[in-house]
Amino acid sequence: MKRFILAVLLLIVVVTPVYAQLSSNPAVMDPALFEEIGRKGGELVLGLSSSPRSFNFYGIIDNAAYTILYNILDPLVMENPATGEIVPGLAESWTVDDSGTVVTFKLRDVKWSDGTPFTADDVVFTMKHVVMNPNAEGNSVDRFTLGGAPVLWEKVDDHIVKAILPVPYGAFTRVLTHALMVPKHKYEPYIAALNEGVEPGTINKAWTTDTPVSDIVGTGTFVLSEYVVDQKVVLKPNPYSWKVDPEGNQLPYVSKLVYLIVQDDQVMLAKFRSGEIHRITITGQNYPALKREELSGAEYGVLAGSPVSPVPSPPHLAFNWDIDDPELREIFRNDKFREAVEYTIDRYRIIEDVYNTLAIIPGVPVLPANTAFYNPEIEEIMRPYDLEKAKQLLDEVGITLKDGVRVLPSGRPFQITLTTAVNVQPHNDIAVILKSEWEELGITTHLQLISSTLVGQKRTAGEFEAIIEAFGNQPDPQLRKAIWQPGRPLYYWHRSTMDENQEPVLENMEDWERRVFDLFELGEVEMDPVQRKAYYDEWQAIYAEKLPVIYIAKGMELAAVNNKLGNVFLKDNGQIVGTNYTIFIK
Amino acid sequence: MFRYIVRRFLIMIPMLILISILCFIVIKLQPGDFTTQFLTDPRITPEMVNQIRERLGLDEPAHIQYLTWVKGIITRGDFGYSFAYKRPVQELIWERMGWTVAVAAATIVFTWVVAIPIGIYSAAHKYSVMDYVLTFVGFIGVSVPSFFLALVLMYIHLSLGGTAVGGLFSQQYIGAPWTWGKFVDLLKHLWIPVIAIGLSGTAGLIRLMRGNLLDVLGAQYVTTARAKGLHPRIVVYKHAVRNAINPLISIFGMQLPELISGTIIASIVLNLPTMGPFFYDALLNSDQYLVMTFLMLSAFMMLIGNLIADILLAWSDPRIWYD
Repeated sequence: MKRFILAVLLLIVVVTPVYAQLSSNPAVMDPALFEEIGRKGGELVLGLSSSPRSFNFYGIIDNAAYTILYNILDPLVMENPATGEIVPGLAESWTVDDSGTVVTFKLRDVKWSDGTPFTADDVVFTMKHVVMNPNAEGNSVDRFTLGGAPVLWEKVDDHIVKAILPVPYGAFTRVLTHALMVPKHKYEPYIAALNEGVEPGTINKAWTTDTPVSDIVGTGTFVLSEYVVDQKVVLKPNPYSWKVDPEGNQLPYVSKLVYLIVQDDQVMLAKFRSGEIHRITITGQNYPALKREELSGAEYGVLAGSPVSPVPSPPHLAFNWDIDDPELREIFRNDKFREAVEYTIDRYRIIEDVYNTLAIIPGVPVLPANTAFYNPEIEEIMRPYDLEKAKQLLDEVGITLKDGVRVLPSGRPFQITLTTAVNVQPHNDIAVILKSEWEELGITTHLQLISSTLVGQKRTAGEFEAIIEAFGNQPDPQLRKAIWQPGRPLYYWHRSTMDENQEPVLENMEDWERRVFDLFELGEVEMDPVQRKAYYDEWQAIYAEKLPVIYIAKGMELAAVNNKLGNVFLKDNGQIVGTNYTIFIK
Repeated sequence: MFRYIVRRFLIMIPMLILISILCFIVIKLQPGDFTTQFLTDPRITPEMVNQIRERLGLDEPAHIQYLTWVKGIITRGDFGYSFAYKRPVQELIWERMGWTVAVAAATIVFTWVVAIPIGIYSAAHKYSVMDYVLTFVGFIGVSVPSFFLALVLMYIHLSLGGTAVGGLFSQQYIGAPWTWGKFVDLLKHLWIPVIAIGLSGTAGLIRLMRGNLLDVLGAQYVTTARAKGLHPRIVVYKHAVRNAINPLISIFGMQLPELISGTIIASIVLNLPTMGPFFYDALLNSDQYLVMTFLMLSAFMMLIGNLIADILLAWSDPRIWYD
């Protein structure tokens, strides 16, 4: 009998399903994310263009893994997907002291998906041993090191944690949105500093693709449920999810989120058309065909979002200021030459021909829709298409026309090689258009169309004359100072502003580059948003005037969506809204 | 025979060592290494890249890297570690082996089952209308690249209202336990890759089989057999085909490495969960130990395939004898 009772008790324990458990202080998601209150159930199928190489957010640099893990792990503060504002995440509130260097976070009362409570220990552990772990391949040491010293984290009590900044840092909460919290109770064994006999690189071997899915726990709206190698990743709702809709229903709505791994774009499109995949990102080239199909009654539609998000990255044109040829070097460094080149770019034609009109005149490089940082004055500075002006300026620079060919001051014909990615269609098409404009001026242009990986390598190695490349529009310029501040590793068109120890060389900078360098230094430690904007306004104006890179166009964000999905829509400002946790199946 | 096989195995050891050295040199000749891809990422500082290189041992001279790798294999049976996946390479390859072998085996079976009878028919009905038609199809098969054929087949299938494109299963059956429904779903998907990948091999085999058989059919002993009044079917199948098929057996051995390396581009286009796309990725990322192990496996299969072909030859043709 005793045995029987024990067996029954055991059965009850085992069989009792994990009921969806709401946190005591759930976060209500912005009503702007909802068109209507969703229905529970159904499955959402999305595409993923490569297999995840690991499920360790900090152990790899892999976009497929990031895409999956953003469903599973949460940051302390997050960006509101509808507005881009910083809103509470795992921290329900925070305060900054008067000095601007101590930020105190009050943590939300939530549990990890295995039921373990989430506490200040997890935060301190994540920041100290994972995010700031120099041996983790995907670490963020750089983002949380200010003026040479790291941000320190201190536990006050289980639900209060303090960040002590060495200097005030205006973009602090913005960078925190990319620091996802990992569970201490699962990650601890991989940390060399906390375990004897564990090698420093072991952190990278946490949560590899063969880790049992039950060990991969998070606080996000979803948890991992199954990974079939190279075929699909399945996620299911996290019973402890702390996000709710405006009526208080726990999110997500769907009972399954599936990522199908499809490497080829054409197959992805085919799978979308056949209804197997529910939502994809498309290019301007596919837009007209899909729109036609939508109008003739297909079970899907297309959304043309205004250019408000960092992707697609807007292409720019750059010249190599450190090229070996001394004469070309002097030409490329001449402001008037680059000005002349801007006059040769017919942005409206490019928007029409390359993007099927689904693009806008870009910012420099801040997105026009980014009201927090965009400087509208650049629109006055940008030079419109005018080949006559271009000719005149080229003459002034000393690149003169002789028998129909432009020749350099030394009498040598002016020939230029334009490098870009063959597998990025817009870049390719833009290169062809630029070639035709330049040849019209008498400049012999050679196109070097190679794979994007090789373009990246040539860029880094400084092996190019002219190049079309693209970087995404990060909302906060400070987060991309590695690109835009002279003397940084990705300021690739003028590499001599940096020495071999990766330190900026101020004396190699032009006066205006010095000013840009200073502006970024000032903006970094400024906490007042108005003053920060003033610094970055000046930076944009300098860029528009001096043209270290010449911006060409910004493509719109285009998506194709199956009609059975609810809560994927265009907001009034033209932004495509639709997160995995607010989407429901009609 | 036994001594012959042992000797062949012993010869394989220096061969594989030589191949491994060549492969390693080729890998090292390509500019950059695994960490080069990080240099273009704004999120990663150059110091971090240097740290990663040091930790992965990529800062060591090439011959030390090679010897360390070989030592791991000999002492621990460890074929190294994938930089991208942070896991031992043999595990990663093993995970993908199942579907790779399955798809390749289905393709090879298709190739042979279709090619041999057609080849025989073509030869036996030389210059008939059917012979010309089949020869024409054969030439198309040889000349059209398999990835293109795959795209065309998928396009035709889609425009006829089919939905089973790309991959081996519909989404709901991936990872599900085996049922009749799952098997049918597999068949619905499998025919496109089998035809797309197999057609070029089929066409080649048809041409070979036809040519060989025509040679044999012109031989004097066939004329003798016919003159004796033997039934034409017996002349062709029992006497001629058996002799004509010998060269094809050596080809069979060569197909073994294709079991794993197969056709990479077609597999990407068809979205197959096989080794091809996986290997292609590893090559692009310079994930060197993964590439090395893969190449070694491929070389080993080639050697084994040749050995098997030789043994099969001895078995099928009594004139061949090894001592």
